[in-house]
Amino acid sequence: MSETSEPTLRDLAADLRERLARVRQGGSEAARTKHTDRGKLLARDRVDGLLDPGSPFLELAPLAAYGMYGKPGSADDYAVPAAGVVAGIGRVEGRNVMVVANDATVKGGTYYPMTVKKHLRAQTVAAENDLPCVYLVDSGGAFLPMQDEVFPDKEHFGRIFFNQANMSARGIPQLAAVMGSCTAGGAYVPAMSDETVIVKNQGTIFLGGPPLVKAATGEVVSAEDLGGGDVHARRSGVVDHLADDDAHALRILRGIVDTLPAPAAAQRAEVEDPHEPPESIYDVVPVSTRTPYDVREVIRRLVDGSRLQEFKQLYGETLVCGFARIHGHPVGIVANNGILFSESALKGAHFVELCNQRGIPLLFLQNISGFMVGREYENRGIARDGAKLVTAVACSVVPKLTVVIGGSFGAGNYGMCGRAYDPRFLWMWPNSRISVMGGDQAANVLATVAGREDDEEFKQPIKDQYETQGSPYYASARLWDDGVIDPADTRRVLGMALEVVSAVPTPAPSYGIFRM
Amino acid sequence: MITTLLVANRGEIARRVFRTCRDLGIRTVAVHTDLDADALHVRDADVALRVPSYLDADAVLAAAKESGADAIHPGYGFLSENAGFAAAVTDAGIAWVGPSPKVIEQMGRKDAARDLAVAAGVPVVPSYGIDEDPATFAYPVLVKAAAGGGGKGMRVVRAAADFDAAVAAAKREAASAFGDDTILVEKYVERGRHIEVQVLGDSHGTVVHLGTRECSVQRRHQKVLEEAPAPALDDELRDRIHASAVDLSASVGYENAGTIEYLLDASTGDFYFLEMNTRLQVEHPVTEIHSGTDLVALQIAVAAGEPLPFGQSGVRFGDHAIEARIYAEDAFGGFLPQAGTATVVSWPAAARVDHALESGQVVSTSYDPMLGKVIVSGRDREAARRALVAALDDTAILGLTTNTGFLRVLAAGEEFAVPGGIDTAWLDRHDVPAPDPAPARAVAARLWLDANTAASGPFAADGFRMGAPAAAPVVALDEPATPAARVPSGTVARTTAHRVELAHHGQRYVFDRPDASADHAAAAGDGTVVAPMPGTVLDVRVAVGDAVAEGDVLGVVEAMKMELALKAPYAGTVTAVGASTGQQVALGAELFVVEGESA
Repeated sequence: MSETSEPTLRDLAADLRERLARVRQGGSEAARTKHTDRGKLLARDRVDGLLDPGSPFLELAPLAAYGMYGKPGSADDYAVPAAGVVAGIGRVEGRNVMVVANDATVKGGTYYPMTVKKHLRAQTVAAENDLPCVYLVDSGGAFLPMQDEVFPDKEHFGRIFFNQANMSARGIPQLAAVMGSCTAGGAYVPAMSDETVIVKNQGTIFLGGPPLVKAATGEVVSAEDLGGGDVHARRSGVVDHLADDDAHALRILRGIVDTLPAPAAAQRAEVEDPHEPPESIYDVVPVSTRTPYDVREVIRRLVDGSRLQEFKQLYGETLVCGFARIHGHPVGIVANNGILFSESALKGAHFVELCNQRGIPLLFLQNISGFMVGREYENRGIARDGAKLVTAVACSVVPKLTVVIGGSFGAGNYGMCGRAYDPRFLWMWPNSRISVMGGDQAANVLATVAGREDDEEFKQPIKDQYETQGSPYYASARLWDDGVIDPADTRRVLGMALEVVSAVPTPAPSYGIFRM
Repeated sequence: MITTLLVANRGEIARRVFRTCRDLGIRTVAVHTDLDADALHVRDADVALRVPSYLDADAVLAAAKESGADAIHPGYGFLSENAGFAAAVTDAGIAWVGPSPKVIEQMGRKDAARDLAVAAGVPVVPSYGIDEDPATFAYPVLVKAAAGGGGKGMRVVRAAADFDAAVAAAKREAASAFGDDTILVEKYVERGRHIEVQVLGDSHGTVVHLGTRECSVQRRHQKVLEEAPAPALDDELRDRIHASAVDLSASVGYENAGTIEYLLDASTGDFYFLEMNTRLQVEHPVTEIHSGTDLVALQIAVAAGEPLPFGQSGVRFGDHAIEARIYAEDAFGGFLPQAGTATVVSWPAAARVDHALESGQVVSTSYDPMLGKVIVSGRDREAARRALVAALDDTAILGLTTNTGFLRVLAAGEEFAVPGGIDTAWLDRHDVPAPDPAPARAVAARLWLDANTAASGPFAADGFRMGAPAAAPVVALDEPATPAARVPSGTVARTTAHRVELAHHGQRYVFDRPDASADHAAAAGDGTVVAPMPGTVLDVRVAVGDAVAEGDVLGVVEAMKMELALKAPYAGTVTAVGASTGQQVALGAELFVVEGESA
């Protein structure tokens, strides 16, 4: 993309799809061939085989670890595609489940720091939404060279099993199929599961593999005799079901899910398509966050019948609030339509309270450069009003969904339900930007503080840093979001998310002190 | 004047006769066995009386008297060609809808019938004395056991030089198979077509024919497809066949409806009398359509002593008609008879269907396996053939397998498309290929998907993937199947989460979703059979080296008052036996080892 011709949103979406296509391939061709030659299915084929025929898949963070474990800007960007683990929500025997599938073609399925973070994120989504978890295990355990970032901390490897135990305690089924190696700490994934399947002559579970055993005790033993399917199904009792092959293991898992108590189905109205086709969204959103446009054009393309029941349309006009349905599910939409003023913040806080009162999930469409600054606004207490919005959002008990459709800067990120405000899901569009402030502003602030206001040499590295770190791909690689999505997919993705989050009852609302 | 008519029959033919009776304002009487108490033909009749058996002549006659019937229609089969019964009916003063007992008797005896044919100048299959000079025979000839059947003791001889050896071989086979080595020799027709003529005579001396039928598509003498007129006959031959049928019928003073069957040598155009059926035929509807008549109404009129309403010149021939017989048999599975509940029965709307089968009906093997007849017509043979294919596509019977799919393949096949292209032995020589199940499987996959997954909403089963092309849905059935884009309209199916049963082009398919727990291969382990409990070996049934099939009992262990059979986990060879009768064994003791290809 040359500097002279700005890419369109359509171009950015095409670029995203290319990146995702590369990620979907998984490991190297050699690794994949080796994997399939053993009669094993690739991770994504395992997921497809587990899911109901035709089931859609709400994939989590496919771009996790992008560009993190190699030389940036090279082919290394894809050194650990999808962080070596495929995760997402799909239908199994008619019910929604969280699937977490190791990709053994990516560094043997070992856990990099981002692999751990993604696995934990998947578990969080499952826990928040009462989703049974199915782990398709094929992993060599922790990636040893980075053990300090994988093993010891609270949100590290051990948390996976902590989560399994606690979800199981809450009655959220934990199911595993061991379809490859499952070594050391990894052995606890199946061992901590409620029901476990193993593929014979393929899956192995042991705390110490044959090389470690030989080193420790001198005993020479094959992997199959040490912890193969027959051993665990017949002798150790570590697993409950013995499968012939991957396909059989997936069938057994489906059978298990089929016997789980049926969950309460989310109620929804008849689905109505928006009046504009999904792809038309490319044509109404300018790529530059500096170009203003009416966010209602986006909303029209997301909601059923393109109908928005607007709240306080004439007040605080830089924040559009209103009720609509997406794929039949009621939703309260909070969308930026300019910079936030006190009135917009008050309107937003009021609307968030309404949704909580009525038990309607919230959707935040973020495109925010921040709250209005300047003496007049500070003196009139814009921070006080901003705090009201932040309080209302932070204390919301209804499910929240956030899509960053443009800029996500500064305190606007907080009031519009950024990652820190526990939205059930947060996605970014490929045109979006996220940072504490814009690169130019940061460079100017730092230059002013340093007394080098006109020093472009000083400012450029700062601008470059913000340019790099403000990219949605930089964010998604680090699990600051649940994925970069094609704007044209937004309605469908939101619909699936609403179907998932709406199945869980919400408690009565209560709030912290609103600063009046 | 007939006012009350009893049909001494069941099923579709009873219903067929009742239909005309209703048209004519004649009160109808059904007889039925206990098994048929709720049958359709019983419900169709004004009166129904129980009989111990449809073959119980006394009971049927008693039923006729009890119900005040003044006529009995015998249908086909059962008592229809029982001269004694016909005589008893007539003697009781009840009109017999059929020819005289004398004619029934004559035509029922093969030798007598042949003599009558010869006397009437109707050609018969030439036969030769076993002691005649083989050099004088017209070859090929068929050497066959007089007591024969099933092809045993049968030889085709193509040259005089081979005759003696063939006779000797046939005699040996006949003697061992039947204990009777009497041998007959007759002309062998290489490619014979079954042509028959519908005749109709009244008590006033009029005999007419209603044209020809061809029933060459038959399997082991069971007719499968029948059509009227017989195609591919030149006018001169057709006239001769018509004339001979009328001559023979007239020569015996034939009254009522009858059929004269011929074997037509397709290579020479010679035709030979086979037999005369003194009753209404199963395949009479094709003649009704072709000649524009109601044969049952004409039968009843004749039985009432009325003259035929038309002479030969009054018979007008029209459309070509084809009939397909639907049988409860698995045509692609060795033609095994099928029984069970016909859960869903859907007959084609655009065809005449003479049947006695409705949804929910139990089909037993107690009676004839014919469930119904699908009869179509068209301006010419090809139009009728296409109509038949369409009608069979619209015929759906679920719950048990029928030959509908087989009929559909036949009707759509290139051999049947050739007029007169199939001879009577064709089906015995050829295996009709079962239709490719792939299209049906694709439809089944679509049915399963539609029934078991969301059609709309965010989780609609369209394989949506974020930022990627949709994943094509694959439904695991007996093998993985990509769903058809849509279910063809009119598809009849029963779909559950675990099974799709559907009719596709007439063929019934049952596709089961794989059942993980029913797959026990994984449970087989390494072929070592261990004592499942501590106990005593009661029996050892195999020795090292024995070949065993999966599930064969290798031995029995008694423990805790239970006898536990130890079975081979898979087919293979016994390579070790660690048990002897009476031996006390511990839990997990290795008692047998089976090695197989799957070990």
